[in-house]
Amino acid sequence: MPPPMPEFSNSVKLKYVKLGYQYLVNHFLTLALVPVIITLLIQVIRLGPDEILTLWHSLRFDLLQILGSSFFVILLVTMFFITRPRPVFLVDYACYKPPASFRVPFSTFMEHSRIILSHEPKSVDFQMRILERSGLGEETCLPPAIHYIPPTPTMESSRGEAEMVIFSAIELLVNQTGIKPKDIDILIVNCSLFSPTPSLSAMVINKYKMRSNIRSFNLSGMGCSAGVIAIDLARDLLQVHPNSNALVVSTEIITPNNYQGKERSMLLPNCLFRMGGAAILLSNRRSDRCRAKYRLLHVVRTHRGADDKAYRCVYEEEDPEGKVGISLSKDLMAIAGEALKSNITTIGPLVLPASEQILFLLSLIGRKIFNPKWKPYIPDFKQAFDHFCIHAGGRAVIDELQKSLLLSPEHVEASRMTLHRFGNTSSSSLWYEMSYIEAKGRMRKGDKVWQIAFGSGFKCNSAVWLCNRSVHTPTNGPWVDCIDRYPMHVPEVVKI
Amino acid sequence: MDSFLLLLCFLPVSYLLFKLFIVIDQKRHQCCYILDYHCYKPGDDRKISTEFSGEIIRRNKNLGLNEYKFLLKAIVSSGIGEQTYAPEMIFHGRETCPTFEDGITEMDEFLNDSIEKVLDRSGVSPSEIDVLVVNVSMITSLPSLAARVINRYKMREDIKVYNLTGMGCSASLIAVNIVQNIFKCCKNAYALVVTSESLSPNWYTGNHRSMILANCLFRTGGCAVLMTNKVTLKNRAMFKLKCLVRTHHGAKDDSFSCCIQREDEQGRVGFHLDKTLPKSATRAFVDNLKVMSPKILPLTELLRFSIVSFSRKMSQSIDGSRPVINFKTGVNHFCLHTGGKAVIDGIGQSLNLSEYDLEPARMTLHRFGNTSASSLWYVLGYMEAKKRLKKGDKLFMISFGAGFKCNSCLWEVLRDLGDRNVWDDCIDNYPPENLANPFMEKYGWINDEDPSTFKVPE
Repeated sequence: MPPPMPEFSNSVKLKYVKLGYQYLVNHFLTLALVPVIITLLIQVIRLGPDEILTLWHSLRFDLLQILGSSFFVILLVTMFFITRPRPVFLVDYACYKPPASFRVPFSTFMEHSRIILSHEPKSVDFQMRILERSGLGEETCLPPAIHYIPPTPTMESSRGEAEMVIFSAIELLVNQTGIKPKDIDILIVNCSLFSPTPSLSAMVINKYKMRSNIRSFNLSGMGCSAGVIAIDLARDLLQVHPNSNALVVSTEIITPNNYQGKERSMLLPNCLFRMGGAAILLSNRRSDRCRAKYRLLHVVRTHRGADDKAYRCVYEEEDPEGKVGISLSKDLMAIAGEALKSNITTIGPLVLPASEQILFLLSLIGRKIFNPKWKPYIPDFKQAFDHFCIHAGGRAVIDELQKSLLLSPEHVEASRMTLHRFGNTSSSSLWYEMSYIEAKGRMRKGDKVWQIAFGSGFKCNSAVWLCNRSVHTPTNGPWVDCIDRYPMHVPEVVKI
Repeated sequence: MDSFLLLLCFLPVSYLLFKLFIVIDQKRHQCCYILDYHCYKPGDDRKISTEFSGEIIRRNKNLGLNEYKFLLKAIVSSGIGEQTYAPEMIFHGRETCPTFEDGITEMDEFLNDSIEKVLDRSGVSPSEIDVLVVNVSMITSLPSLAARVINRYKMREDIKVYNLTGMGCSASLIAVNIVQNIFKCCKNAYALVVTSESLSPNWYTGNHRSMILANCLFRTGGCAVLMTNKVTLKNRAMFKLKCLVRTHHGAKDDSFSCCIQREDEQGRVGFHLDKTLPKSATRAFVDNLKVMSPKILPLTELLRFSIVSFSRKMSQSIDGSRPVINFKTGVNHFCLHTGGKAVIDGIGQSLNLSEYDLEPARMTLHRFGNTSASSLWYVLGYMEAKKRLKKGDKLFMISFGAGFKCNSCLWEVLRDLGDRNVWDDCIDNYPPENLANPFMEKYGWINDEDPSTFKVPE
């Protein structure tokens, strides 16, 4: 959507005017203070050294006054630090890389599909068309149980997949950070569609022999945005408990959720969801301040469940034959757009520089008072963020967001390449994208990252991170062996 | 110069006072109050008697005579009465082939009933709720049950919502823990905790001994609890949370696997309850009490106990009885998870509780059965209906769950309680003279029969 400016906005002079305006507004406070400081300095210099000395001696100090005032100063400084919210740092994170034997190239997927759905050629064709346009590559992975013809989703194989994904990610994280599992104070595991009793969090506690007073939580059913919800819960807990750390594990277990029927709206998730998982270590300890990679600035959650259409757009139900699957409605993109708008309205004032906020406010006032036909001003989020991690829900989601937020192809590159290499790994996809940006060497100290995730319900959740230190290109990680092949051009339609 | 100094001091002093005010204000708003709660009671057509249970067992083709005997014995001696509630699909004979819809409908019935009632009674509208925590262990759906609640009651967009699953029978207190932590960060908030259990999709259709027991012991139930940290509502609140302690023994392998959902040899999914369950439970309970006792017992009792144990150790006398800490010095009422008769007896013995103390839990087990995570609230309802709860009383809640977890917390009663609740229609019949199962005589023979000549009597 073009901003409400006349045609000659393309001219160079106006571009400089706009830049100048932005610089002026954003650095207003500094620019206002500088002349004040200069005047003060001039006054002090004019007084001359002798006068300053006499001024100094006239202030009579005795011991009591000195003690009293120093006590006050110390108290002030302490109060200042106590009442500030505790910063939450991301020490490090690790993503699970499935072995090559689990790969599902298009040919394998279509071969399986033709055999399993041999009586439903229309459904097979539908799956092929989806795969061609999906934006997925040939290296995405599915768990072993789904490689069977027909798939064998038992509880044991689901547990096996969970153990493989979660334990590998945690092992990587433990090696990277050197943390001992016994030192973990808070554990949050989120996995939408597999929830055995005892929970996956209990499984992690059992495997790593964690302490008996650990605070563990197991979230489920919250969709692809559950990763950000888990980070929000960890942040709230870390505000209450000083000197603690939190381990957040985000994953989606594919085995029990493979749809075995033939309804088209339910076959879509089979084509898109792939194996993946991530483990994240958060902390509020002062000692971790220097080695932490990121600092959490904001988490904004928007839930549109009150609207019936939004609620039903991603829905698990039985098909007419009684087979359970997740149906995706056709209005998914429109609903995602609405949820995003809601989320932006809340996050905008928190992150946008003053210049953009003023423009947005003026445009809002103008639309309300003068002429409702004015096009709404879309704030330029590229000013506020350096990197964007958009949940790799599918090609359509990334396209839609690129259009709404006016992003360039470089900004959405991380999302598109993650979708190509790993598929839609649900709540952990944001971390694969972060890992891509780091692997490309683009993450610098002071950079701001915006993670946006959508989920069933319908939710739109965002998290804003600030890069705390320079991040060297990782020597291990999910992208290490293939980063040189990226970015690659993913055609609109891949002919199978 | 003096006026300049005065001004110089005024600014930091006022800033200091301002900061102090913020700290004190924050502390005031960090308390966790229960405004109201409502337990779910299905219609009378969902009551399941021992006789009907026997029929259900008999119509299961996979169960032989030995299993029939075993199960009936378990039901008869379980302490569960004749008026507990079962999910609807059992009455349609579909327990062996439940559909996904059955599970959702079962949850819908509860969600549409209890939440509306608790919000109506306290006069809070759904759009005022700031935090929603739903815990139902054994069902996952997309969107989550929490999203179902938000959709049904049209709650706000910026609501903080969490959906917990898989956390077993002690999940109620875990949900309260989340709310307690969020209340320390957000001021003036309302929170809704919704807890229940899903039975329909989890019926075990096999014949493995350790797994068929779960079918017979769990019953339908649920509770919606409205909590707040608004200081202005302190006079209307029922309870205030004093402290909450969670103990997780998942690190021990036998504790982790004593209560676990898995497949049997034929691939049928069921809930395995191991023989080592009581031992794991006791261990977790003792560890939990070790942390909890210093927080809730008065100093005099703690001193007395430490002196007695010390002198016992020093004198090395082997007179058999170990010193028992007297919890009644710090706690007036005990709210126990109704896991079964053995659980209640076990806790009663460890804490040296009288029949009066154990009565609420026993009666809840009799009237409502083991409703999993929500059982604590039914026990609380009994105490309230019997007008036992007076202002200033301390109430101790204990629950156990798969994993193995033991969670406990202490509530302070803020005003004399005695409102109408789920026990209304039958509280006058409790406690009954005889808790024994009326079918003890009919099925009592199962205790004596020789398995080789066993024949099912008509």
